Amino acid sequence: MSAASLDRVLTALADPYRRRAVELLRERPRRAGELAEALGLSSPAMSKHLRALKEGGLVEEAHPDFDARVRVYSLKSGAIRGLKEWADETERRWTRQLASFKAHLEKEGRK
Amino acid sequence: MTSSVLVALRVRASPERAFDAFTREIGEWWRPDPLFAITPRGDGVLAFEGEEGGRLLAHLPDGEVFEIGRVTEWRRGELLAFDWRQAAFAPGQTTRVEVTFAPVGDEPRVTVRHFGWLEIPRENAARHGFPDAITQMRAAEWWRKSLDSFSRRAN
Repeated sequence: MSAASLDRVLTALADPYRRRAVELLRERPRRAGELAEALGLSSPAMSKHLRALKEGGLVEEAHPDFDARVRVYSLKSGAIRGLKEWADETERRWTRQLASFKAHLEKEGRK
Repeated sequence: MTSSVLVALRVRASPERAFDAFTREIGEWWRPDPLFAITPRGDGVLAFEGEEGGRLLAHLPDGEVFEIGRVTEWRRGELLAFDWRQAAFAPGQTTRVEVTFAPVGDEPRVTVRHFGWLEIPRENAARHGFPDAITQMRAAEWWRKSLDSFSRRAN
């Protein structure tokens, strides 16, 4: 990854609205209007944030087949993968640790 | 899909006893995971030092101590919260763990919720005295590292 593109990622995420937009796009792709409504932003403000996220390489836009005027935004696969790997590993860890915790607690209870 | 992880189970013990075992006896029940270790030298033996404002520590075999995070809530039999940082995290990147102990009949429910950085509430950062700009910088640092490793894998 080049220094210039790193700078764009950093810029893209240096804003709480944009981080919240990333969070919403993790659930599913959304239209710009939906994002604006969820974040309580005007449509021009939302466009500006989406442009920053696009330039940072975090989101991409597509047009649904039925209407070329509508833009649908989604997270790029690399960005999703990082969050998903963290969540999967963390879930495995706690499932295992809590089972061990329960065994420890209940073994003692039988004494 | 959300950016926090939730795992829960029910235990045959009082919420107070479960809380004590979770905190005071973590060194006895924690099972080190070689595939997902807290530090490159393993998990060592975990221990809570102090209560609210205290720390969760990993005592490594070579005598070194790694600080996993600060304890932010310590309400016996109800709620335990602490920051969670692994050695492989980007500098300053942290996540947060909340453990609740809820009475449900005679088998209370123990719930672990692990929050990724996207969901760490701002008050939490404020309580630790991090200005928002620094929190953002840390978040950005994590993304930079992740995207960096993806682009290396892809090439």
